[in-house]
Amino acid sequence: MANNGLEVIEKVVKQYIVVMVGSEQYGIDIRYIDNIVRMQKITRVPKAQYYFKGIISLRGEIIPIMSIRRKMDLNDDTFNNATRIIILKLEEKGSLGIIVDEVKEVVNLSDDEIEKASNKGKFINGIGKHENDLISLLEINAIVEEAY
Amino acid sequence: MDVSQYLEIFIDETNEHLQTLSDCIMELEKEPENMDVINEIFRAAHSLKGMAGTMGFKRMQHLTHDMENVFQEVRSDKIKVNSAMIDLLFKCLDAIEGYLDNVKESSEEGTEDNELIIKELNDFIAAANGEKPQDDSAKKAEPQMPVAGNAAGRKKYLEFEMDDADRAKLKAEEENGQRIYGMTVYIQKECLLKAARAFLVFKAVEEYGQIIVYNPTSQEIEDEHFECDFSFFIVSEEPFEKVYEAARSVSEIEDVVGEEIKYEVLAAKQEKAEAEAIAVAIMPENNPVSAEKETPAAVAPPKQPSASAGNKKQTVSKPVTNRTVRVDIEKLDALMNQVSELIIAKNSLVSISSTESGGFQNQTFHEQIEGLERITTSLHESVMKVRMVPIESVVNKFPRMIRDLARKLDKKMELYMTGEDTELDRTVVDQIGDPLQHLLRNSADHGLEDNATRLEKGKPEVGSIFLKAFQEGNNVIIEVGDDGNGIDVDAVREKAIERGVITEEQAESMSQKEIINLLFLPSFSMAKKITDISGRGVGLDVVKSNIEALGGDVEVKTDKGEGTTFTVRLPLTLAIIQALMVEIGDEKYAIAIGSISNIEDIPVKDIKYVEAQEVIHLRGKVIPLIRLSQVLDTEPKEDEPTSLTVVIVQKGDSQAGLVVDELMGQQEIVIKPLGKFINNNKIISGATILGDGEVALILDVNTLM
Repeated sequence: MANNGLEVIEKVVKQYIVVMVGSEQYGIDIRYIDNIVRMQKITRVPKAQYYFKGIISLRGEIIPIMSIRRKMDLNDDTFNNATRIIILKLEEKGSLGIIVDEVKEVVNLSDDEIEKASNKGKFINGIGKHENDLISLLEINAIVEEAY
Repeated sequence: MDVSQYLEIFIDETNEHLQTLSDCIMELEKEPENMDVINEIFRAAHSLKGMAGTMGFKRMQHLTHDMENVFQEVRSDKIKVNSAMIDLLFKCLDAIEGYLDNVKESSEEGTEDNELIIKELNDFIAAANGEKPQDDSAKKAEPQMPVAGNAAGRKKYLEFEMDDADRAKLKAEEENGQRIYGMTVYIQKECLLKAARAFLVFKAVEEYGQIIVYNPTSQEIEDEHFECDFSFFIVSEEPFEKVYEAARSVSEIEDVVGEEIKYEVLAAKQEKAEAEAIAVAIMPENNPVSAEKETPAAVAPPKQPSASAGNKKQTVSKPVTNRTVRVDIEKLDALMNQVSELIIAKNSLVSISSTESGGFQNQTFHEQIEGLERITTSLHESVMKVRMVPIESVVNKFPRMIRDLARKLDKKMELYMTGEDTELDRTVVDQIGDPLQHLLRNSADHGLEDNATRLEKGKPEVGSIFLKAFQEGNNVIIEVGDDGNGIDVDAVREKAIERGVITEEQAESMSQKEIINLLFLPSFSMAKKITDISGRGVGLDVVKSNIEALGGDVEVKTDKGEGTTFTVRLPLTLAIIQALMVEIGDEKYAIAIGSISNIEDIPVKDIKYVEAQEVIHLRGKVIPLIRLSQVLDTEPKEDEPTSLTVVIVQKGDSQAGLVVDELMGQQEIVIKPLGKFINNNKIISGATILGDGEVALILDVNTLM
């Protein structure tokens, strides 16, 4: 029993926000998330990289918005009532928004519920298993690196 | 004493003195006999020494002291100024600057003793005057005398206030035949248990007598409510040396100063100190330090008369600086941000009031809005003005640099500067130094020919380098140039082909200007040999990117055989500008008013073609047209209109016409950066938030042209 108690302490639990992009569920580490806002008018920036939709203003700040679908070579975004922009806060490069089709829930995943990705693709760093659902965990740094 | 509160003043004033010294030494080199200059140098060197001493920077004090000695000799006509001496003096200044940099970083002067320079200085004096060195060592010995105290050890016991009861006690003890000793003990800064050390000192000295007055109070000392020093008066029958040694023998004590004092002297001193305290109360806060420092002079060995002369000068010049306030640049940034927010809020009020549906058709409401607009605009201007500083602080060091370069490169050259009083935003001024320095080095090294070649070509032997600064509209222009050989365009072309930067076919079709612009590409150096001055190929591209980071740009003009001029263009303001809002497709863009010269309606039939490029002919000028809808990839309008709205923009001498769909009017906008993620070839210099919360992009005219 004493052993069991120790195990509980050692377990690292991370929180992820589960979002839908296309038919796949993705998890984003909650530490990176600054805000989730509804879809709003995005101002196009000419000559920007293809996967940048443009910029929005949020509380007086200008935030670039990336299309994660374009980044992952999926079909282009269609916006509806469920579409959200997730504002990521990144230490060095400032804020960045990514468009997702829907925000579902927040889940707690412990280390043993996460299977490290082997060759799942460069934007995914693991698969989380949660109540019979599979969640692809996004590697935020990879998304950002390429964007830079 | 805690001197940290004076640190900022110390840094600023040291900078000022260093600049004065540098200027004067340059002047001295030209007129070695000018007594006024020598006196000025002497004064500045002396103030430097005094300040370093007060702050406890002993190494710095030592160096300035020896430097001062050299000036002393020059002043008394024993040494003649020569270029070796000037070199040495500049080395000293660099060393002092090194100390100052350390102080800025860590509040410590560092551990570099600069013995070599000090030795050179002393050798210099020795060489010029055989008997001088002894004199010198006598002077140096003076600070080591225990009773006189050294730089860190001021006689603070003369400064604190006593109440009448304590005085009466002291007086009574003296009448009883006891001797009064005043002492100040300095504990090492690293000491952890200061109160314990103080206690040990008290215990040690109380074997010989009784402590009458403490400062800080004994309670405060016990609670460790003091910096690194404390003072006390002790009455004793024993000779002073015994008490002194007792205090000294406690470990972790840095220094002890003290002496026997007669009650009358003390009483007089106290009164004098009080009187002075009132007198100095109106002076800036750093002055009491030096004023108090002079106080013990009556008791200590008399100082050189020059000391008071230097001090007098300080007090005389002070009231001028007193009218200014030093403000942290971060506070100004915060203020600027708030003004920006205010302007955005005002803009949204304006946009509400101008919409028909707003329901605010009240006359007074409109008037108030207009009033608000005026106030925010002038508020913005005031804040901008506060942030503006003359570029003087940056360009001042250049004459010295050119002098050094001239010696190093063995070329004769002279720097001519104009417009040093041109003002720029503080942030820009802070960062413009390096690029300008680089351009000047470039001119000195690559630009100017060597003296023999110049004479051959019939040019004056001494090359000239110039730096001109002036304001033009919303920009400040800084031109850096030389009257050297100019850029060899053919050589650049060959080099570019050789390096594979361009192909031969490309080279054929490139204009001279385009070829010269290749110089700004990374790692493209034209220097035939690498010197430590320039030629490593990390040059012009860095200059360009630094200047672009500040929102400016740089251009080159060169005439073969006549010289080269680099023109640096910098925005006057960084955050808020007046802009013309235009519509292209269904998108809104802002163009800085500063770069617009006029707006024209041009019938489509008036468009001409030159080299397949659309141009218009306007008042005798041929102006190329730029179709913004094509550059910005906007949705094209379905029907071609019969006339075009053209915004004529200007950059230096060249003009271009920007074709826009709609004019929306002038507006004050706050520039927000796009962030680091989006890269778009710099056509867009930023974004702004409009009154209705919408985002509009700001076009960078300089890149478009």
